[in-house]
Amino acid sequence: MFSWYYIEGILIQSCYTLLIVLGLSILTGYTGMFSFGHAGFVCIGAYISVLCTMGFGLPYGLALLVAGLVAMVFGAALGKITLGLKGDYFCIATLGVGEAIRLIFNNLNLNLNIGGKQFVLDGAKGIASIPLHTTLPVALVIVVIFLTATALLMNSKHGRSMLAVREDELAAQMSGINTFNSKMLAMCMSALYAGVAGGMLAHYFGYLQPKMFMMVKSTEYTIMVIFGGMGSITGSVLGTILLCALPELLRAVGDWRLVFYGLAVIIIMIVRPKGLMGGKEITDLKVFKAIVGLFRKKKKDPPSDVPGPGEELPV
Amino acid sequence: MDLQYYLQQLVNGICLGGMYALMSVGYSLVYSIMSFSNFAHGGVIMVGAYVGFFALTALKVPFLVAFLLCGVGSGLLAVIIERLVYSPLRKRKAPSLYFIISAMGASIFLENFVIATIDGTPRNYPTLFSNSIKIGSLSLGLDSLLMIIVSAVSLLVLMIIIQKTKIGLAIRACSYNEKAGTLMGINSSLVIFVVFLMGGVLAGFAGMLYGMRFIVKPTIGQVTNKSFVAAVFGGLGSLPGAIVGSLLLGIMEIFVASINSSLRDLFVYALLIIVLIIKPSGLMGKPVEDKA
Amino acid sequence: MKTSRKLMTLVLSCLMVVGLLVGCGGSKGDTIKLGWMGSLTGEQAAYGICESQTLKMMVEEKNAAGGILGKQIELICYDTKGDAQEAVNVAKRLCAQDKVCAIIGPNASGQCIAIQSVLDQYKVPDLSTVATNEKVTVQDGKLKEYNFRVCFLDPQQGKIAGSFVYDELKFDKAAILYDINDDYAKGLKDNFIKVFAAKGGQIVAEEAYTGGDTDFTAQLTKIREAAPQIIFTPIFYQDFIMIHKQARTLGIDLPMLGGDGCASQVLFDAADAVDGSYVINHVSLVDPAGDAFRKQYADKWNGAKMELNGYMAHDAFLLWCAAVEKAGSADPAAIAKAYCEVEVTGMAGKIKISATDHNPVGKSGCVEQIDGKNKTYKFITYIAAD
Repeated sequence: MFSWYYIEGILIQSCYTLLIVLGLSILTGYTGMFSFGHAGFVCIGAYISVLCTMGFGLPYGLALLVAGLVAMVFGAALGKITLGLKGDYFCIATLGVGEAIRLIFNNLNLNLNIGGKQFVLDGAKGIASIPLHTTLPVALVIVVIFLTATALLMNSKHGRSMLAVREDELAAQMSGINTFNSKMLAMCMSALYAGVAGGMLAHYFGYLQPKMFMMVKSTEYTIMVIFGGMGSITGSVLGTILLCALPELLRAVGDWRLVFYGLAVIIIMIVRPKGLMGGKEITDLKVFKAIVGLFRKKKKDPPSDVPGPGEELPV
Repeated sequence: MDLQYYLQQLVNGICLGGMYALMSVGYSLVYSIMSFSNFAHGGVIMVGAYVGFFALTALKVPFLVAFLLCGVGSGLLAVIIERLVYSPLRKRKAPSLYFIISAMGASIFLENFVIATIDGTPRNYPTLFSNSIKIGSLSLGLDSLLMIIVSAVSLLVLMIIIQKTKIGLAIRACSYNEKAGTLMGINSSLVIFVVFLMGGVLAGFAGMLYGMRFIVKPTIGQVTNKSFVAAVFGGLGSLPGAIVGSLLLGIMEIFVASINSSLRDLFVYALLIIVLIIKPSGLMGKPVEDKA
Repeated sequence: MKTSRKLMTLVLSCLMVVGLLVGCGGSKGDTIKLGWMGSLTGEQAAYGICESQTLKMMVEEKNAAGGILGKQIELICYDTKGDAQEAVNVAKRLCAQDKVCAIIGPNASGQCIAIQSVLDQYKVPDLSTVATNEKVTVQDGKLKEYNFRVCFLDPQQGKIAGSFVYDELKFDKAAILYDINDDYAKGLKDNFIKVFAAKGGQIVAEEAYTGGDTDFTAQLTKIREAAPQIIFTPIFYQDFIMIHKQARTLGIDLPMLGGDGCASQVLFDAADAVDGSYVINHVSLVDPAGDAFRKQYADKWNGAKMELNGYMAHDAFLLWCAAVEKAGSADPAAIAKAYCEVEVTGMAGKIKISATDHNPVGKSGCVEQIDGKNKTYKFITYIAAD
């Protein structure tokens, strides 16, 4: 059997990846904007958090918060200039921004002296010996907090506005939704998530290098969202666990795992573009209801053919 | 730094731009008809480079034959990808973002399929043309010269096909308005087939030239991303735009690199963002609203 | 109907995961487990493949001769793809899952530095083959308890390069072209400049490129203007080849000097372009003393050519064997301790690891010239690293 330590590592990785995917799900799954530059936000979060813990000596939790907020500010700035773009062009712009952020960190040479403490940022050489603060309980607590937050957000007025924007921007506008604000909120939230996750990643690996945030990573996150199902939190969780943990367990298969990965994406797009969960939550599934029903006294089930959120995704 | 120096850098830039042009027209061709960024194109170029490598080393065919084989191989691959990946989506009238994601999937698949079946080690083409032409202190490798000539000729042929032939007319009609084109009796499936075939053949040529000048490896895709930026810069969907954009990008990139070489990629992506913000339709593209 | 199908999919995927978990379990009896990691794919694959093949060959040989401490050696090899993040994953897997007693590799400094936190956590020693960055074993004056290596360091390599160019070739104008993205290249460049400038040499051009770049004409044209006598290229072999090819078409016929990342059999694919350039190495690749070893390797692996990394892996394996025997057990901590106590004679001379910095003492580097016509190296000189 796999040893617990090893599984723990995979679980921690799944946790922070899930955070990124959740954030991306708000942007992509709920608001319908695709980002191929999310690794850039993760990169910013990772570096800021390391600066906080190793440079300023801030506690880990606070460092994560700062990392998230800084990433959010960047997200807002990016949103301000790119949200006006349509479809493909927004996508390409995020691709450019993601790469640009990585390249900036690649060229950044800083030698900060903070209160007598030396903090060296040496571009591509990376930062080593980062304290390993991200343990499984910490990661789990953070993920649960963000899962709850996402669920609350999506069931709020703002969440529904986002869904409306995804379905039909023009119609949403006409029914009085400020579509720009909705998109901006989605952008900021997803950047925040990515920033926090970046901090967790840095303090899990103990090593940081701009090379870790190539465009391929952004693509992988997007694929996880799609794989699980757009507009479904359960889908994001499922997509992350399947695509993040499985390749790690399948290390023995070696080179072929990424081949299957690419193939899986194509097949999903063709056969089941709504993803595994098809925009439904676990609470929408008949099975779940049946199980809940067993425990509860027979309460009338709501008619089951009411479409869940995102069911009517134009395909 | 004298004039010779700048001339040499200009020549370097044109060589680089010429290669970008061969690659970027593939992106633009597909975009003009199907309105999505075909990221699998990078994979097709990479496969072309490998076809050329094995034709030259394993089959030991002459250069010209290898060159044609590259075009055939990549052209076929591009058509197969269209049939297997995009065609089902097209039939379902899926939104263009699904196409992009499938394209990403296809590019991940191609890259890793090559790694798994061949291996990831960079390979070196046998030296075909090692001489260079010297004019004063200007120096131009024969391979670079060949690259410029091949780029120019194949792009010229492409333009003639698009402008003068019946199928070219159909392509232009479909790129203007596919629905209307179909109503006028144009077989849009055939048009798409031809577009992918032409893009693929050019990709094969580009792959071979790339391999000769540089090196063959599965991750060539990172380079093709820059030619994609060139296509956006020139205006996605516009062929003259892709060519002009590529040449300009190549020249600018070389001059940026000659000032501060670590900034060249940053410059390329910053340019991409600036173009998208100021004029998303690029230098010569149609207004975005038409295609959004 | 739909829901039940969905449920089926879910159940099936769960089953798959569980099946995997169970299927992978179980280890083979009483063996001593040695881990190896390095690039089997990616840019540095030629090095990693050679390292792992050498180790496989030597482990087989050792096992046939009765193993070590009366037990058979089980070698577990994983691919890092040349990626630091992947290296951390692999290190975790080797330490926590496979429970190896020691790790050999990875073949790049960045990856060695990256896995340090993991090694410290699991207290498993890593013996690196060709990681030359000084931060691999000591950082900010702090010794890394579980990082060791059998090769010389970048400052030493920079010194070898600097004194070779200035003292041996008697050149005082050098240009540098390096990969700014690569920690190895950056470290070597800094150290070369330090030594070369101190001797009175002049760096006439210092040009960088970004890893993954393939077009170097802009930088080379600039270097041509600066008129150096030699170009120092502390990079890996595939870039070394491309730079040569492009330099020749630009009419630059200068020799270049590459670090230990350049020496590879792959160079001879572009023999006429790289002809006449120099590479620094840990051990002479044409030394007759290595003939038997090279032949054994070629016989075992279909005539494969031995790379530099094979020699270093050979030495690392010898040192590991000696350490295990000295420790008398397969306890990782005991092996770590024993690494500094044993001394072996390997392909690259005597190896004795210092307890104060975990680096080998008294190493020397070798400079060889590429002979493109005969597709071989020409031995030039040995230069002491200290």
